[in-house]
Amino acid sequence: MLFKLAWGNVRRAGRDYLVYLLTLTLAVTVFYAFNTISVQVDIAGVTEQNAGMGETLGGIISGLTLFLAFVMGFLMVYANNFIMKRRKKEFGLYQVLGMSRGQVARIMALETVFVSAAALAFGIVLGVALSQVMVFFTASLFKTQIADFHFFFSPTALLMTVACLAAIFAVTLVFNLRVVARARIIDLMSAGRQNEAIKARNPWVSAVIFVVGAAAIAIAYARLLHDGLPYDGDPEKMRDFLITTATVIVGTILFFFGLSGFLLKVLQSVRGLYWRGLNMVTLRQLAAKVNTASFSMAVIAMILFLAITSVTTGMSLASVMNASVERGTPVDYTRCLVYFSEETVAEMNADPDITGGTATYAVAEQPVDLVEASAKDTIQEGEHAGQPFDVLSIAGDYVQLEAYDSTPRGAREPLVTLDGLCEAVGMPMPSGTETSGVTGLGLMVMRESDYNRYLRFRGMDEVDLGSGGYLLLSDMGATVNDIYNAVLAQGVTIDFGGAELSPVAERVDEDASVFGNSMMGMNSGTIVVPDGLVDACDLPLYYGYLMLDYPEGADVAAADGYIGVPRTYGTVTDDAGNIVAAWGTEATRTTTYESVNSMNGLISYLAIYIGFVLVVACAAILTIQQLSGVADAGENYRILSELGTSTPEIAHSVLAQQTIFFVFPLAMGVAHSVVALSVIIDLVELFGGLTIGGMVGFTALIFLIAYGGYFCVTYLLGKGIVRDAVRTRHAN
Amino acid sequence: MMGKHSMGAHVEVPSDAAGGAARSRVHMTLPTVPAPARTSATEAAAAPVLDVRHIEKVYGSRNNVTHALADVSFTVSRGEFVGIMGASGSGKSTLLNCVSTIDAVTSGNVLIDGVDVTAMKASKLTKFRREQLGFIFQDSNLLDTLTARENIALPLTISRVPAGETLVRVEDVAARLSISNVLDKYPYQMSGGQQQRVAAARALVTEPALIMADEPTGALDSKNARLLLECFETMNRAYRATVLMVTHDSFAASYTQRVLFIRDGRIFTELRRGTSSRQEFFNRIMEVVAMMGGEASDAL
Repeated sequence: MLFKLAWGNVRRAGRDYLVYLLTLTLAVTVFYAFNTISVQVDIAGVTEQNAGMGETLGGIISGLTLFLAFVMGFLMVYANNFIMKRRKKEFGLYQVLGMSRGQVARIMALETVFVSAAALAFGIVLGVALSQVMVFFTASLFKTQIADFHFFFSPTALLMTVACLAAIFAVTLVFNLRVVARARIIDLMSAGRQNEAIKARNPWVSAVIFVVGAAAIAIAYARLLHDGLPYDGDPEKMRDFLITTATVIVGTILFFFGLSGFLLKVLQSVRGLYWRGLNMVTLRQLAAKVNTASFSMAVIAMILFLAITSVTTGMSLASVMNASVERGTPVDYTRCLVYFSEETVAEMNADPDITGGTATYAVAEQPVDLVEASAKDTIQEGEHAGQPFDVLSIAGDYVQLEAYDSTPRGAREPLVTLDGLCEAVGMPMPSGTETSGVTGLGLMVMRESDYNRYLRFRGMDEVDLGSGGYLLLSDMGATVNDIYNAVLAQGVTIDFGGAELSPVAERVDEDASVFGNSMMGMNSGTIVVPDGLVDACDLPLYYGYLMLDYPEGADVAAADGYIGVPRTYGTVTDDAGNIVAAWGTEATRTTTYESVNSMNGLISYLAIYIGFVLVVACAAILTIQQLSGVADAGENYRILSELGTSTPEIAHSVLAQQTIFFVFPLAMGVAHSVVALSVIIDLVELFGGLTIGGMVGFTALIFLIAYGGYFCVTYLLGKGIVRDAVRTRHAN
Repeated sequence: MMGKHSMGAHVEVPSDAAGGAARSRVHMTLPTVPAPARTSATEAAAAPVLDVRHIEKVYGSRNNVTHALADVSFTVSRGEFVGIMGASGSGKSTLLNCVSTIDAVTSGNVLIDGVDVTAMKASKLTKFRREQLGFIFQDSNLLDTLTARENIALPLTISRVPAGETLVRVEDVAARLSISNVLDKYPYQMSGGQQQRVAAARALVTEPALIMADEPTGALDSKNARLLLECFETMNRAYRATVLMVTHDSFAASYTQRVLFIRDGRIFTELRRGTSSRQEFFNRIMEVVAMMGGEASDAL
């Protein structure tokens, strides 16, 4: 019996439940599709290049899904309140007819179950379809080829989705039961058409509020554009930034609070416009909803702002990485060796587990030849299995250079530290480094002759330090380079083990600072000094770099393949057979580009996922609010109809109201984003150019379709409600 | 619409054939008796504002037919204030709905200002209703989001009357109905009586051919009811507005010039006030109500 009632209710209240169903279905679709990411990544062939990529992405996405499910849960509570508000009388009637609260609650729970089940069914079907399509999208994001496309279904994703849906259901149910449990029958029965109390808000006051809000927003924009982002963590700038943020939030709220009053005032002054057709009705309906709607419009504007900004920034950062990988990947193959320090050697030798009783560790006296050392690796698979790794077999031009520790042997303090340089130019340490070491961050040291050999190899002009010159090198971006540039520009002299050194350049040449292929840079600070100083100061070896280009016209894929085949690493020993270093990273140009693509893909994925769910949530709230507004105003529309207004005219008025409700928050969000992004772009440009490319455009399109889709649904359903309201004649 | 007409054509024949003498008498008397004192006889006879001819309204399916209206005919002359009385379920509201084009008749014709509204298409009806009819309901039916001034102006703005003229006409009608002081108030800031007078002003402002009032005093206390009815008299006198008022309240009916009594979907009889005082007319109405029998207590 209860089952039948509940089923009938869902069917009857179909329109009310439609928004609910639509949003829940979309949520399920998106949850499922995105949670199949680890399977997709497999099919798209991403994992071949990046083992673990799928798991990483999958892990992040499931975490995100939980968070988004939480957001969705509250949205659903809101949607459900809308349905409940309209049905209080019905629930009251059940109780008057002798049903217990428990039974009424069960009816409601059953209704929610029906809708949730339907949403699950639709959502999974759509989600499965979407995830098949998304594989191609994934492949293009990660710039891979799909080798073997096949239909797939992910039970894990299904489980995840069902769990989220169950959570949403539980939250909704708890809130619903509270409504039934708390309400007294008399309240339920008299709950009829409880329109929002229409307060006679003085339009002048509203208009003033609007102007103040608009002014606050303008001030905040000006402040932000002037001050920029507080990326260096300066507390004063941080405080200014917080004031700007607060101003824009308050401004946005005031703007929407005063919007309808302002529009009313402005249009009232244009008599011919105000006293024409349904214009005044449209404006007054808007003004009547100012209490409930203005705050949510402001919140939605802010959420849209966050979604747009984070998505654009994320994708732009990814594109920056694309741009900087160009610079960070100067050669076909790089390999790096890390020399043991005195402390490490002592520790290693003291531990029999490491030495195994036979090996001895030592501090390197002479640089190790990386080509020879590489030959101690043994190739394990393929046609060269069992053979040593012969770098020269793939090498065209190549160069080896050494970097030294700036802490002399036996000393405790580095000769040159980042904090020292900061102090010299009166700049704060980059954020995140202030607390990282008490003794300070020592720079690496490079011989002038090594560096010139590197420059020759790169085809760049050599430098001449003379007897007392120095150069600073770094490829880690503006955070540290601002400091180095200041040091060089101010001509700061450095006491290097007793020698007085002066800079020979004005700026850091980032292009000439790259010693290994990487997407983000690896050289956080190197000082190039005259050769003699390195020996005079007795600086220990730190890194050995091998940089290598394939021969002209070589088969890149074959060479990459040769490097990519698994190898056992040989020990790196000096002439006496002591182990002096361990292998560090090695990277081909190709693998670096691929990891950038993966990073790109990852960021784009998360951005789209979060952005889409947020946009859908915002649009759903607007839709629900609008529909409940139309339903509440149904009586008014009926009167209009009786006064001789045609239904299309009324629908037109409703459309105008909806347009204002949908467009203004979007416009505000976009405006905020444009201003914020222009500042963010300034910042990101420091890392190397920003292109808001096609990907952002594509994402914007998806968002607009989702937002616009909700707008259309709102209009169609709203029109239906108007039609019903107009049709139900005044009772006799 | 078309379907109902073709069906109506063959329903009409048996109903006429079986029609009682009383019904045709009512129909016959109207043109012969001169129009009431306040209207010039020649004008009224020449062009009735409302001409209801043999209308029927049937609800339900083949097996379970309810005749809400059975062969009702009457006319209303220009400038007349006519009441329609009857008990609950007598069909008086159905009659009003059919006359006001909100509901469609099963058969018969309704002519307003010589135009047959039963033959009109829905799109034309909207325009017709907007220009030729005014409505006043039991609940004032004002838009709760608009001020009184805006509510009264609404029918004019809908008809795209220029703003200047709209505002002048609103002020004018408000002054006549003594509601100038509430023009800038919202409905919830007004008393029920004020709301009804605003509704009356809204019905009047377009100067329609016919104003229809459905139990306008139903929700008012006696003082406000009297104010509203006096307001109707003003409308009728000052604007020569033609008013058709459905009521079950004899006191309200006594303000009219003529009362049609409806029972079981038929016109039972009619009373004319003539030159008698309102009190005398009220007493005569009470007699008819008593005569109408068991429903007398209902009718009151």
